[in-house]
Amino acid sequence: MLTELGDDAKILAGGQSLLPIMNLRLAEPAHLVDISRVGDLMGADEDTTSVTLGAAITHQAIEDGLVPDPCLGLLTTAAAGIGYRAIRCRGTVGGSLAHADSAAEWPTVLTAIGADVTVRSAQDERTVPLRGFFHGFFTTSLESDELITAVHLPRFAKSTRWALEKTNRKEGEFGESMAVAIVSEGSASIWLGAAKDVPVNLAHVETLLADHPADQVPALGEVRDRVAADLDLSVPELDLAQRHRLQIHAVTVHRALSRALSPEVPA
Amino acid sequence: MSTVTVKVNVNGTPRTIEVESRTSLADLLRDRVRLTGTHLGCEQGVCGSCTVLMDGLPVRSCLTLAASCDGAEVVTVEGLDDADAHRLRQHFSTEGALQCGFCTSGMLVTGYELVRRRTEMDRDQVACALAGNICRCTGYNGIIRAVQKANDDGMAVDDLT
Repeated sequence: MLTELGDDAKILAGGQSLLPIMNLRLAEPAHLVDISRVGDLMGADEDTTSVTLGAAITHQAIEDGLVPDPCLGLLTTAAAGIGYRAIRCRGTVGGSLAHADSAAEWPTVLTAIGADVTVRSAQDERTVPLRGFFHGFFTTSLESDELITAVHLPRFAKSTRWALEKTNRKEGEFGESMAVAIVSEGSASIWLGAAKDVPVNLAHVETLLADHPADQVPALGEVRDRVAADLDLSVPELDLAQRHRLQIHAVTVHRALSRALSPEVPA
Repeated sequence: MSTVTVKVNVNGTPRTIEVESRTSLADLLRDRVRLTGTHLGCEQGVCGSCTVLMDGLPVRSCLTLAASCDGAEVVTVEGLDDADAHRLRQHFSTEGALQCGFCTSGMLVTGYELVRRRTEMDRDQVACALAGNICRCTGYNGIIRAVQKANDDGMAVDDLT
């Protein structure tokens, strides 16, 4: 059907991003294909090393623990932070990934986790790592006749510590910054959302952490310099508003590191 | 414009309604079932006035197509009439939790689902849970107090049915 209709058709999952822009008449697709109640997309499957979630599973199902969370509570926490309860009851994990808003929870969180998605067209099926799936603002490597059908999540080791920090003015809004830190023995995965068109890997911050004594949180200034490097920003050239945004990102990342590295407080 | 036939149970009454495919659940409820307690404020999912229960969970009826509701059970503010709903109404009244009433139906439906979860909640948690519903006149303190009291009552009597 998608091959036939091409750009005239949009896939409708929960509709919590598509319906607002349709109501604002910013999008007027001639055909909607509602997949929100396709049974095959709503199941969850698990084995000893991974969990597979159907793409049409809602944020609410994850928030309420109706599906397994192999990431020691990170999924549940991320889901509970998305919009408002009424949004979470319709919005889906696959829909959020296909929509590809870097300020949204799933693109950044699931990329940080190292999740893969299964992508299917009428002819073919492929598995794509989320690291590399997002190409730009609302743009992914999905072809126009393809659909995300499932998300595959690795199980965290028991000793893994994580933190998800979002900075926003009001509960339920998109974050002005969102940092995910996942720390397990000898390695760290640190990602930043809402900063660029796609989730950003904070490789310089990860290196900073590796060079730092374990359990010690680097100073905010150090973190800010590394975040600037990861965002390709030259601090002396930034105007005040840009410096303010950088500071928000740096503080958000610093909070995430503090929580993920703190031995007493559970993440 | 194509049409679809939707079978939907609204407040306990099964209905079969033919609508244009683009019709939202909110428009179906207001214009076709004539249940105008569900209010349309922003129509982009921000204000919360149009919140209704679909299969027991709150949804924005402005961001839900009627066609997606085939086979669903929908409860609007007019259909809330058990002990939890009664306690909510009582506390909204005594706490002065409404003035113009525009946001009230959304607040009640959101609050109702919240108290039905039977989770202990302090003021901040109630405030966060209501953050998706906007009130532009009374202010939020009375609303938060009313929902928190209804939640405390629900926890105490434990008459979840």
